[in-house]
Amino acid sequence: MIPLAAYLGISVFLFIIGLVIMMSRKNIVAILLGIEFILNAAALNFVAYSRYVTNNLDGHIFALFIIVIAAAEAAVGLAIVIRFFQLKETIHIDEATQLRN
Amino acid sequence: MFIKIMFLLSAALILGTGVMAAVTKNIMHSCIYLLGSLLGIAGLYITLGADFVAVTQIMVYVGGVVILMLFAVMLTGGKEFVSKTQKLLGLIPLMGNRCSYSFGVIGALVFGGIATKLILNIVSHLSIKEVEPYESTIEALGKLLITEHVLAFEISSVLLLGALVGAAIIARPRKKDW
Repeated sequence: MIPLAAYLGISVFLFIIGLVIMMSRKNIVAILLGIEFILNAAALNFVAYSRYVTNNLDGHIFALFIIVIAAAEAAVGLAIVIRFFQLKETIHIDEATQLRN
Repeated sequence: MFIKIMFLLSAALILGTGVMAAVTKNIMHSCIYLLGSLLGIAGLYITLGADFVAVTQIMVYVGGVVILMLFAVMLTGGKEFVSKTQKLLGLIPLMGNRCSYSFGVIGALVFGGIATKLILNIVSHLSIKEVEPYESTIEALGKLLITEHVLAFEISSVLLLGALVGAAIIARPRKKDW
């Protein structure tokens, strides 16, 4: 059978990928993309532990709520990105230096 | 056997598309690779026996979040469609000499070894059992959502409403400002 450590390894890999994308990109949409990777790593960990350790469905509930919150976060984040583009004509993260025009 | 093949395919998909999403220069390609990675994660959920979570993952992420991201990329593309990515190592300035770096690497190896030993010790003492592989979880999940976790369920509905209204207000064009 597949060991628990395989799922945890894939989760660590996804977390590192998300962190690298967030650190190395200057595009705000790309930073949101890195956040999606990290949230998915957390949800995968919840479901894997729920199957191998606790044997109940609480981890699935947590994964569902993580998906809900990720969708809400993506909607609000992309709305902010579009508004920022209307104001500054760019989506470079270094241009975001003030809260109000 | 089927589960093992499914796991290997999903893991290969996640590893390949994850690395490509991190190294590719074009943000559009990066979104498409994110889609592949999310499909792989849905495959892993299936191997874990979480059928409802897998279907929700595909419907919400692949049908919603990635499409939203592609729209945002296309709406904000303009001149900078190919994003200016930098090499990770060129981004961070040097903060020490060779000696301090080697000390850092040795320290990290020692710390990693100790941490791995501790974690393996803990994991080997856990009671690792498995539930039956093909058991539908939808009924049990529905009962849990409206009995034990009903407060979080209702709060998430308020959160979604707030996100909807907030996104509409933020992205609304304001004539006076610009």
